[in-house]
Amino acid sequence: MLPNLMRIASRSSVYSLLCWLLIAVAPYGVAQTYQGKEIVKAELLADTTAIVPGKPFTVGLLLRMAPGWHTYWKFSGDAGLPTELKWTLPPGWKIGDIQWPIPLKTVDPGDIETYGYENEVLLMQEVTPPAKLDGSSAKLSTEASWLVCEKICIPGGKTLQLDLPVASTSQPTNTDVFARYRRLLPQNLPGPDVARADWSRVGSELRLKITSETLAKHPAVDFFPLPEQETIVGHPAVQSRNNNEIVFRIPFESAPKGLSSMAGLVVFAQQPNGDDRAAWQITSAPPVSGSRPAQAHGVLMFLLFGFLGGLILNLMPCVLPVISLKIFGFVQQAGQSRQKILRSGIAFTIGIFAWFIALAVLLIALKGAGRDVTWGGFQFTNPYFVLVLSVIVLVFALNLFGVFEISLPQSLTRSLLSTSDRKDLLGSFAQGVFATVLATPCTAPFLGTALGFAFTQSAVIILAMFIAVAAGMSAPYLLLSAQPAWLRFLPRPGLWMVHVKQFMGFLLLATLLFLLYVLGAERGLEGAIWASCFLLVISVACWMKGAFILPTASAIKRTIVVVLMLLLVIGSGVYFIGGKFQSAKIASAESQVRGDWQPFTPERLQNELEQGRTVFVDFTAAWCLTCKFNEASVLEAQDVREAFERHGIVKMKADWTNGDPVITKLLQHFGRPGVPLYVLYPAKNEEPIVFPEVLTKGMVLEKLESVASKVASQ
Amino acid sequence: MKMKLLLTALTSLIGTAVFAEVPAVGSAAPDFSLPDASGKTHSLSQYKGKYVVLEWFNPECPFVKKHYGSSNMQNLQKEFTDKGVVWLTIDSNAPGTEGNLTPEGAQKIASSWKTHETALLLDPEGNAGRAYGSKNTPNMVIINPDGKVIYHGAIDSKATPNPSDIPSSTNYVKAALDQSLSGKSVATPETKPYGCSVKYKSS
Repeated sequence: MLPNLMRIASRSSVYSLLCWLLIAVAPYGVAQTYQGKEIVKAELLADTTAIVPGKPFTVGLLLRMAPGWHTYWKFSGDAGLPTELKWTLPPGWKIGDIQWPIPLKTVDPGDIETYGYENEVLLMQEVTPPAKLDGSSAKLSTEASWLVCEKICIPGGKTLQLDLPVASTSQPTNTDVFARYRRLLPQNLPGPDVARADWSRVGSELRLKITSETLAKHPAVDFFPLPEQETIVGHPAVQSRNNNEIVFRIPFESAPKGLSSMAGLVVFAQQPNGDDRAAWQITSAPPVSGSRPAQAHGVLMFLLFGFLGGLILNLMPCVLPVISLKIFGFVQQAGQSRQKILRSGIAFTIGIFAWFIALAVLLIALKGAGRDVTWGGFQFTNPYFVLVLSVIVLVFALNLFGVFEISLPQSLTRSLLSTSDRKDLLGSFAQGVFATVLATPCTAPFLGTALGFAFTQSAVIILAMFIAVAAGMSAPYLLLSAQPAWLRFLPRPGLWMVHVKQFMGFLLLATLLFLLYVLGAERGLEGAIWASCFLLVISVACWMKGAFILPTASAIKRTIVVVLMLLLVIGSGVYFIGGKFQSAKIASAESQVRGDWQPFTPERLQNELEQGRTVFVDFTAAWCLTCKFNEASVLEAQDVREAFERHGIVKMKADWTNGDPVITKLLQHFGRPGVPLYVLYPAKNEEPIVFPEVLTKGMVLEKLESVASKVASQ
Repeated sequence: MKMKLLLTALTSLIGTAVFAEVPAVGSAAPDFSLPDASGKTHSLSQYKGKYVVLEWFNPECPFVKKHYGSSNMQNLQKEFTDKGVVWLTIDSNAPGTEGNLTPEGAQKIASSWKTHETALLLDPEGNAGRAYGSKNTPNMVIINPDGKVIYHGAIDSKATPNPSDIPSSTNYVKAALDQSLSGKSVATPETKPYGCSVKYKSS
């Protein structure tokens, strides 16, 4: 267009004047032409008449497209290319990201979906000038580039400039166009009382459930994805819709492992692509890159922590009943040969090592297979594991009460007479394994960081770590069994042993109560009751064994009773567990959370942070006793609660009872193999503060104060 | 009247061309049969036992022009057809759309752009394109001698129409072919393709 005008201009002074005018105007508005027609006109606008030092204002790239031509959104969809702006700013100036108005969705033949704009769009950005400005004017320059398509695609671009005077006051300008496009900007997802977003994943599809009354008023609801670079997303579609709830299914190929959510817009209008469209911005979960560096401790340091942690495991509430059994064993052995005691202690130790090493191997294999694993509790997220433990604990307790005895058949006893201590050794070994199984969810203070570190390392280090923990846990027994002198301090065997034995049975029942509580937290009251029914049948079976399967009874009688027992156990197992228990629904996390704690989702966290609030997240689980201890003694203490309220800190509980994979990923991100984990998010773009596993009131109060004052001063 | 409605419904159902998903990496590549500019028919099955590259094409698309104008595509085609790879360029654009080529137009483009593909196939009905879920030009699919898809996606890593970005981009097609031809597995088997949309016939 310009060359032609130049030729005309050379013929006439009027035209040359026009030409100069055009050149003068050109930097502010340029047209892209195709086949002689203007298809895109680009202009740079500001919403202010002058620049006031230190006062932010908004600039916008106004693109006006010929009918039928489109430019593209931040995510262009199956084809196309988003518009780009490369700014050259004087030093000290800051510019924000492009604020993209809600685009239109176009579906072309061949099921090609693209997101973009037609007719006109204003892409706004907030500019912050420095507090001190020299000169009477400032020039901002940008290289805008876009792709505009109709039946064919044409890349376009131009350098645009904005020259504005610097003054102490300014007036708004271009108010209509800015207001028009500000209305089309997406909003943050409103608080949980207006709308909720819940993510889940089914194979290679993400599911986004939006619950809100607002949706019911808009017939057209859609999800426009904003995937990360590495994710290839398919076409989101509505999976189901009823009243206030809509579920989107978002298929993807080639995504980072463990993808659990995706940013995007939930767009709602009376009609698709309606002018009245509005949207909520959905953000994805906080980044969970596996490469977040764990604390910089040497490997040896961690192994030491592992050893100490193993030692402390002996004091954990879940291990105590078995310890009592073991100490009892030592008492019984007090009169026996030193050799025997030592061998028994070693067998116990081997039992502890065996379980830890088996666990390490299993975890290394799973990790190698790419599964998300954390140690210290993930077993307890499986209700069947808890159920098996319950059965074992109950049977042990009944044995201690004297309901039945474990005795080997006569033939076996005779052949073992020469090595009669083998039974004791096997028993010790089994006790070692059992003690360790019960200990795994109680991650002691040192154990938490140590294991978290180990998990990011090689298989060798993981194995070494577990061995260190096993060594720590078994050390006291090895010492005791090697130093028979200490056993002299234990009293002589007598009737008191029977009473202590029965009392230990009650301790085990206490453990059983805890396990039933966990089952209830995982599968609801119904699940716990069905499990208890099964346990009742087990008790009856044990009684039958104790009452009727005696060495003095006839072989026929014994066989009949064994068959009956088996039938009872298997039958009730199939009915109660295979049938009823299995169908008991997983208790929803919502019902577990009470009081002023909100259930945690990455959505809610992001939303609260966006609104400028500080958030405290308590990662807990029903079976985690350290968590319960922290909650009871610190978090629910009067002065701590008041501190939370005073500073307006939002409290969220992340319930890991059922092993929620989103929470698992977050635990790994913070370098923890399990719960408890306490994280304080001070503000939107700040590093979260991680508390140690054992909380003290002083520590929590002090951190709350310092964060609150820091946030207030910003 | 009811019969007519039913027939209309049925035919519209059949008429709606089935648009398949992109075949997953490792799955069997769908067969097709298309004529080239000289009228000779090529089918994928006739090339079993060889590596086959499918390249979706639109001479009007700036992203395609980026690779042809710079000779990047022709060089790639020559390099691998010399190694016995079968390179099939496919035009799935509907008649009347600007990217659509008539047999004469196809021959002209091939000679003026000095292309080195094995054959330039014409798919105005869009059947092959739809069978491969091909949405862009250029879109690349690589098939191994067993007939399995080993790569699908973009030609390279920089989704721009600028030829100046080619030297600094990773060429996924070259990488996949080099790796596969030397017996290694393909490191990046799928990427998001970039480019203009394929102009399918409206159904």
